Amino acid sequence: MPMGDREVLLEVKNLNVTFGKGKKKFEAIKDVSFQIYKGETFGLVGESGSGKTTIGRAIMRLNEVTGGEILFKGKRINGKIPKDWDREITQKIQMIFQDPMASLNERAKVDYIISEGLINTKKYSNENERQEKVRDALLQVGLLPEFASRFPHEFSGGQRQRIGIARALVLEPEFIIADEPISALDVSIRAQVLNLLTKLQQQKNLTYLFIAHDLSIVRFFTDRTAVIYKGNIVELAETEKLFSNPLHPYTRALLSAVPEPNPYKERSKKMEIYDPSQHQYDKMPPSFVEIEEGHFVLANEEEVERYREILKMGVSM
Amino acid sequence: MKETKEKILSIQNLVIKFTLRGKVLTAIRDVSLDLYKGESLAIVGESGSGKSVLMKSIMGLLDKNGYIAQGQIFYQGEDLAQFKTEKDWLKIRGKEIAMVTQDPMTSLNPLKTIGKQIEEAVVLHQGLKGNEAYDKVLQLLRDVGIQDPERRYKQYPHEFSGGMRQRIVIAIAIACNPKILICDEPTTALDVTIQAQILNLLKTLQEKYQLTTIYITHDLGVVAKVADRVAVMYAGDVIEFGKTDEIFFNAKHPYTWALISSLPQLGEKGKELYSIKGTPPNLFKEIKGDAFAPRNPYALKIDFVETPPYFKVSDTHFAKTWLLHPNAPKVEPPEVLKKFFEEGRLYAHGG
Amino acid sequence: MGLYSEEIRNITDKSMEQLFEFASQDEDQAEKIGYSNYSYWRSTWKSFLKNKVAVTLLILVLALVLFVLIQPYLPNQKSPTEIYLDPDTGYQARNVKPNDDFWFGTNSIGQDLWSRIWAGTRTSLFIGVVVAVVEAIIGITIGALWGYSRKLEGAITHVYNVFENIPTTIVLILMSLILRPSISTIIIAMCITGWVEMARFIRNQIVILRDREYNLASRTLGTPTSRIIMKNLLPYLISIIMLRMSLAIPFAIGSEVFLTYIGLGLPVSEPSLGNLINEGRVLMMSPDLRYQLLFPSIVLSFITISFYIIGNAFADAADPKNHV
Repeated sequence: MPMGDREVLLEVKNLNVTFGKGKKKFEAIKDVSFQIYKGETFGLVGESGSGKTTIGRAIMRLNEVTGGEILFKGKRINGKIPKDWDREITQKIQMIFQDPMASLNERAKVDYIISEGLINTKKYSNENERQEKVRDALLQVGLLPEFASRFPHEFSGGQRQRIGIARALVLEPEFIIADEPISALDVSIRAQVLNLLTKLQQQKNLTYLFIAHDLSIVRFFTDRTAVIYKGNIVELAETEKLFSNPLHPYTRALLSAVPEPNPYKERSKKMEIYDPSQHQYDKMPPSFVEIEEGHFVLANEEEVERYREILKMGVSM
Repeated sequence: MKETKEKILSIQNLVIKFTLRGKVLTAIRDVSLDLYKGESLAIVGESGSGKSVLMKSIMGLLDKNGYIAQGQIFYQGEDLAQFKTEKDWLKIRGKEIAMVTQDPMTSLNPLKTIGKQIEEAVVLHQGLKGNEAYDKVLQLLRDVGIQDPERRYKQYPHEFSGGMRQRIVIAIAIACNPKILICDEPTTALDVTIQAQILNLLKTLQEKYQLTTIYITHDLGVVAKVADRVAVMYAGDVIEFGKTDEIFFNAKHPYTWALISSLPQLGEKGKELYSIKGTPPNLFKEIKGDAFAPRNPYALKIDFVETPPYFKVSDTHFAKTWLLHPNAPKVEPPEVLKKFFEEGRLYAHGG
Repeated sequence: MGLYSEEIRNITDKSMEQLFEFASQDEDQAEKIGYSNYSYWRSTWKSFLKNKVAVTLLILVLALVLFVLIQPYLPNQKSPTEIYLDPDTGYQARNVKPNDDFWFGTNSIGQDLWSRIWAGTRTSLFIGVVVAVVEAIIGITIGALWGYSRKLEGAITHVYNVFENIPTTIVLILMSLILRPSISTIIIAMCITGWVEMARFIRNQIVILRDREYNLASRTLGTPTSRIIMKNLLPYLISIIMLRMSLAIPFAIGSEVFLTYIGLGLPVSEPSLGNLINEGRVLMMSPDLRYQLLFPSIVLSFITISFYIIGNAFADAADPKNHV
């Protein structure tokens, strides 16, 4: 489906998130813009300090936005918004957190943890209905309904993460931000959780913003990916295209550093190192340019020329 | 890879237990493993597999409630499992066997300059003093890739980034001229670009200082990059070991299959990733038969009854699974894995 | 390496056939394996019970409290305020040493020390407990809001700074001068200055907890601040709140003694440990009369030491690191 026809569910426009004031100012997000279409899985990749988690939290309205806008279905959701719109997006936009050991309230029963959102939005008419919803949520994530009366410490990391997913699902959201949902899990459990997320997306037509630092997972799981470096998106494209034809030197360095589980490939690999000073941006500041359909790069005029050349020659990774 | 077949460390039938809340947990259930001089061995496992416990036991760093119940650890003619006092361990720890852990901040003293910390190790283990020691520290800093060592000497740990701190910890570890270097998830907490640099650094140092290295990791990508041989651990046991390409492209144990198959690199977009159901077993209870059996889609009835012995796949490759018994039905690994094995074999022949 | 097992040969042919068949898998079983029996409060209690000293003291303290409450209803008890006359002389039975009639003796105006001491202990314990509870309520409420709400943070910090910089003693003195000294006055005076420390303590703990992921999760689910404080934060703080309260009780009692010492305590008609100690202190120099200081001091020391030991033992037991 051509991009133009698809419904834009979430749009981020010139987002700036700055912490602190005066001398101690820290610009976590400098100037970020992107769109997420309904039904897709959008990947946001970066290393520590890149700002990827901050973007997720800004969309969830956990962090304050200091510049730019965030729009959901065309309406602004950052800053001061009317109460009923606030309630609506609380239900429609939900988040899955990274650390299953820290994202559940140890002193509360699983039943309360999952119902918390329901209780807040009063999306049920009586006690029975609420219990039904909790039961359904547990079954959907592959857990037994009897787990509702237990406490989080009785479960393994993978199970806890699934409780966190059930908690987000019970509100029947449209858009879910998954902030490194599998990084803290054991390798063999990651596949379980990823499969669960895929299944749920198909069943419920969910849209995902998938924040990660592990590129191999991003390649498998996302439709489009944005690479973020120190508060700016440096490249955005359809995932396959990004991986096979990375243009921005940071993207290339990042991809070359990802370890491959193939001893022969790994041993013969040449690593690229990213040096930000190669850009000379004080002479010619960059902008976020659409270099071919759906493929954006942060570059100044000179670099855009170079990238266009590379694309024409069809050089791939 | 060095071809010397000289054994530098030999673990025999090791059993390690912990007392926890009144109950006994068997973290290592009869492990035998050899380490050859000059090689790079990777120990792969998930949490609860016992890989960290195994390494800590070699250095006498087991928690207070842990003890070696059986078995021997032979190093240079001595049985380390018999060591009772800290004094015994001080001869080995740091001097002969050194360790680099996951979080550099836990190994560094935030109140001392990094130069001082490295110097202390140099003075203690190499017996150098004064200017000689200082020069050695600068040389070590250069070896681990820290530029401008004279200035950096006077700085404190918090003035360095995560990757740099890890380099400092590595410098302290090799300051002692150890024979064996254990790296316990040395790059898990680091960004992927820094990870690659640190792994390359470790490889360089291994050659320069002729170290034998052990990598503990759950990341098969790291294994592919640095290891000559691999040992796969599950529930306190080494269930398969062999040369790296043997394990990657000719694995025989269903758990190893599952580990490799569940990698996203082997996944096809839109389809489910291969995954194992359930969670690792409770090590408080005695395990009968093969620990992986309850989660093993290829489990045989005998897996629940009798623990499998090591079956030979090649002179260097052994796996503990009844599937290798002559009477066992022939099983094919999962589809995604077969393709991966094929690719591997092509690579091996094509270069 | 000796890795081959010769056991294979020992298995008979028939059983070999059966054993090498595929086993069926139970998926639910796989999920059930991850179950741990650990309960935080149960482990805390067990850990506490291991500390024999603390447990003994706890039993003794409870016994003391019980005794103090039922003492007036026991037979042969005298009134703590009545002035007893010596039947022989007709004068006040002053400074009588402990004997069969007056088990702890009498004080300088002829009052029975036995009943006075228990009455005094009742009063002091009452003051201590009430102050600890009221301080806790005020301190927790203000501390929680201070730590959690970014809107109120500034305002409450100002209030805190004001209160913190006023010396407690001055407030107590002022209050005692303005209002007539009585049990309620003392309680009010101590609460006005005492909530401050509890508030700061709670606030520090909450600042640590508030950015943990599970609290962020609650915010994203739309949970109101009050419920986040009640269900997400306070349950983690119960053990430290109990510790602080158990230390606040002897501190309040000690403050009362101090106030009495500087002359701002309860009137003599209201027996309290402070009064008794003060009266006894005056007579400390003469060896015959030391018993008047001895008995209340023993009671005060016992209460103070016990609460400190019990409180600290509880704090240690509540620390998950000690739950082995």
